[in-house]
Amino acid sequence: MIALRRIIPLLLVLMLVGCTVVQPTRPRPVASSSSAVVALLDRAHSQNAAGELEQAGASLERALRIEPHNALLWQELARVRLDLGLYRQAESLAAKSNRFAAGNRTLQGENWRIIGQARSGLGDYRGAQAAFDRAEQE
Amino acid sequence: MKPFSFLSFGKKSRRKKTAKNRRWLTKRKFLLVASLVVLLLAALYIIYLDFTVRTRFEGRRFALPARVYARPLELYAGLKLAPSELVAELALLGYREATSPREPGSYQWRNQQVELVTRPFTYGDGPQESSSLRVSFAGDRVTALQGRADNAAIELLRLDPALIGGIYPGNNEDRVLVRLDEVPQLLVDALIAVEDVRFYSHRGIDPRGIARALVMTVSGKSVQGGSTLTQQLVKNFFLSSERTVRRKLNEMVMALLLEVHYSKEEILETYLNEVYLGQDGNRAIHGFGLASSFFFDKPLMQIDLTEAALLVGMLKGPTYYSPRRHPKRALGRRNLVLGEMAEARFITDQQLLAGRITPLGVVDRPPRGISPYPAFLSLVHRQLRRDYRDEDLRSEGLQIFTTLDPWVQRSAEKALSQQLKRLEQGRGIAADSLQGALLMTDVQNGEVQAVVGGRDPRFEGFNRALDAQRPIGSLIKPVVFLTALQQPQSYTLATLLDDSPLLLQQPGTDDWQPQNYDKKFHGPVPLHTALAHSYNVSTARLGLQLGVPSVLDNLGRLGVDRQLPGYAASLLGADTFSPLEVAQFYQTLASGGFRTPLRAIREVLTFAGQPLQRYPLKVEQVVDAPSNYLLTVALQEVVQQGTARGLHRYLPAELNLAGKTGTTDEFRDSWFAGFSGDRLGVVWVGRDDNQPAGLTGASGAMTVWAKMMVGLDLEPLILPIPDSIEHVWIESKSGLRSAAGCPDAVELPFVTGSAPTESASCGPGSKGNPIKSWFERIFK
Repeated sequence: MIALRRIIPLLLVLMLVGCTVVQPTRPRPVASSSSAVVALLDRAHSQNAAGELEQAGASLERALRIEPHNALLWQELARVRLDLGLYRQAESLAAKSNRFAAGNRTLQGENWRIIGQARSGLGDYRGAQAAFDRAEQE
Repeated sequence: MKPFSFLSFGKKSRRKKTAKNRRWLTKRKFLLVASLVVLLLAALYIIYLDFTVRTRFEGRRFALPARVYARPLELYAGLKLAPSELVAELALLGYREATSPREPGSYQWRNQQVELVTRPFTYGDGPQESSSLRVSFAGDRVTALQGRADNAAIELLRLDPALIGGIYPGNNEDRVLVRLDEVPQLLVDALIAVEDVRFYSHRGIDPRGIARALVMTVSGKSVQGGSTLTQQLVKNFFLSSERTVRRKLNEMVMALLLEVHYSKEEILETYLNEVYLGQDGNRAIHGFGLASSFFFDKPLMQIDLTEAALLVGMLKGPTYYSPRRHPKRALGRRNLVLGEMAEARFITDQQLLAGRITPLGVVDRPPRGISPYPAFLSLVHRQLRRDYRDEDLRSEGLQIFTTLDPWVQRSAEKALSQQLKRLEQGRGIAADSLQGALLMTDVQNGEVQAVVGGRDPRFEGFNRALDAQRPIGSLIKPVVFLTALQQPQSYTLATLLDDSPLLLQQPGTDDWQPQNYDKKFHGPVPLHTALAHSYNVSTARLGLQLGVPSVLDNLGRLGVDRQLPGYAASLLGADTFSPLEVAQFYQTLASGGFRTPLRAIREVLTFAGQPLQRYPLKVEQVVDAPSNYLLTVALQEVVQQGTARGLHRYLPAELNLAGKTGTTDEFRDSWFAGFSGDRLGVVWVGRDDNQPAGLTGASGAMTVWAKMMVGLDLEPLILPIPDSIEHVWIESKSGLRSAAGCPDAVELPFVTGSAPTESASCGPGSKGNPIKSWFERIFK
């Protein structure tokens, strides 16, 4: 049961990585070494799947209180806000994730992709394109 | 219609005899009509009363104050938590020590472990059942959480949050609602024996009771009410306390109506929750639920016979029979109640005898109802008022989940009151003349963990943390320097600023000649040094080059939402701000340039535990990452070797703290704002009468800040280095490119491409005296 809980977020991360270019030489982002954070991330994912976006956000905020420097958590929160149509929030949260994602190009690439989507949502197509270009570079 | 027919009748009258008859008939008719009208009016009035009774009884029966909770403590393996902190938290929550804890709300220490049974609690994301677990520690860290039954690992668990206060109705009524099935039968028995023996048989009014009361009153024995419980409830609920016949009649009719619509149980339950039983300052204690905790510090369910008798006895006059103020009188009254209970055969004679010699059992000090954290609570109240009507806050029984961390709050309160006293004693300052205020927040999410509004943290009056507006002096400087660093092609940390005499002459204003604190001028100084040593003249000149409006615009972006007039003196902190405002703009700097509105509330639940509103984390990037990084590095230098270097007497250098001191003219205000990897604190020290306090930022506020942080096991400030930052060795005095090991060389971060290109005499490749720089320690 516990093993499964650890695997699910890992799978999600793998899926996330799969969206970009899988480069096995790079260190794979590990959600967290804290089982509490993994459990909360897990909960956020199921809340998200159930369409409970606000609650998913609350679970991620809880996780962030435990690991405020975890870039993946900031990114997940950015994505939740993006799904809620809160584009400015999504953009800033993804930028915040980037702040803690130094050296992790996979995460950074995904953050730029979120920024691009958020900017498109705001009607800033040029800004969005710049962000998508940036995502490709990462 | 009828009166008209009566008038028309007279016209048709012809014979006297019949006329007489008819007149008699008319009289009868008139009487009939009149009485019908009276009846109709009475019926209408009763319908009106009925309506009143039903709507009031069925609608909101009680104004329930909003309940305000601290943050729940989250337990998980890896949590940094000293066992003493957990003990303090459990004490705050009223958990009891037990040898083998089984009841929710009990615990036991055993070596490095706590066995614990949590209380069930409903949070914003649903209920959490009570669980029985073991928390293991290694030093100041939680190593494991396990279920006691199966030893299975528990990933994380919240303790129920501490109740830290209420937002009371306008009349300051406070109560804890109880259901009838939670009320001990003894209490109901006592109530019935003393107040209304025929409660279960009468229909709202009790003619025998009234007759008895009349006899007693006429015979002059006593003025007795003869009111039933139902009547008493009606009186409390709907009517004023005036003593008129009309009111008494209303009361009786309404009592009858109440009994028509509602069961005895409903009426009794409402009565038990309504009655007034005491006073705590300006808070009125209503209902037996709250009275039980107010007098005995336990839930109503757990009170025994004598305690029940005491509470019931007090109904007659909660002030007159107050067991705290008039224990003898209260004891006499209680024993009288016991006697009535024995007479009504609710208790045996043995119980009566045993009861009479039992002490009152009242706790000396009532558990705190008024918040122990008034300054924090007023911030909560202020934030709530943006979204809720005040009357709803005071009456709907909302549950407010806040961000207060009692441990941090305690540490902050202690630091402020103790350190102010020490400063007064150590520096010959008049006792009790200094005041102070502080706020502590979480660096990354902007949650306010502690607010102290003055040196007496329990004082409910003037809240300096929110409302004191004072000049901030040099605390403004980081905004000036940030504005410069945001133009990397013009300004870097190595840029030499001009710290020679400055005279600003503008038509219509006095000449302005800023001075440095040491009354000296320092010539050309590197930008980072000017900030570290808080040089006024070079800062003012820099600010004037940048333009006062652009500096103030930047301050607005950082989080000060108000227009400032914008004088040159604003550049040196002549404008006034509250500690809360300062905390807001330092928050943005501390969190990497992301503006995060300070929050004191996480969520609001209804009385029934349904989520009503969440206050989600909001961030907005307002400063680009490289500029914010450069500024923060310079603020670390303030602590490493600038005006705040005295912090090292209290806190290890390895924390890499960042901060800024502030001192205003004639030492009227002493400020310090600083942050670690996890917490931001802002402290103000000064005098309420605005007279000189005799303290610099470093000798006053900073020492309070340090004392507050010492006990909190801070996270070091490790700054993620943005991709567009490079590190270059610079010769300080010339600001030119140098190399490691060269004299006067420091390694500074630059936005890539902005570092000077020209080389100093000791350039790359040459060898000089190795100088260990504080930057090395940071970047290694």
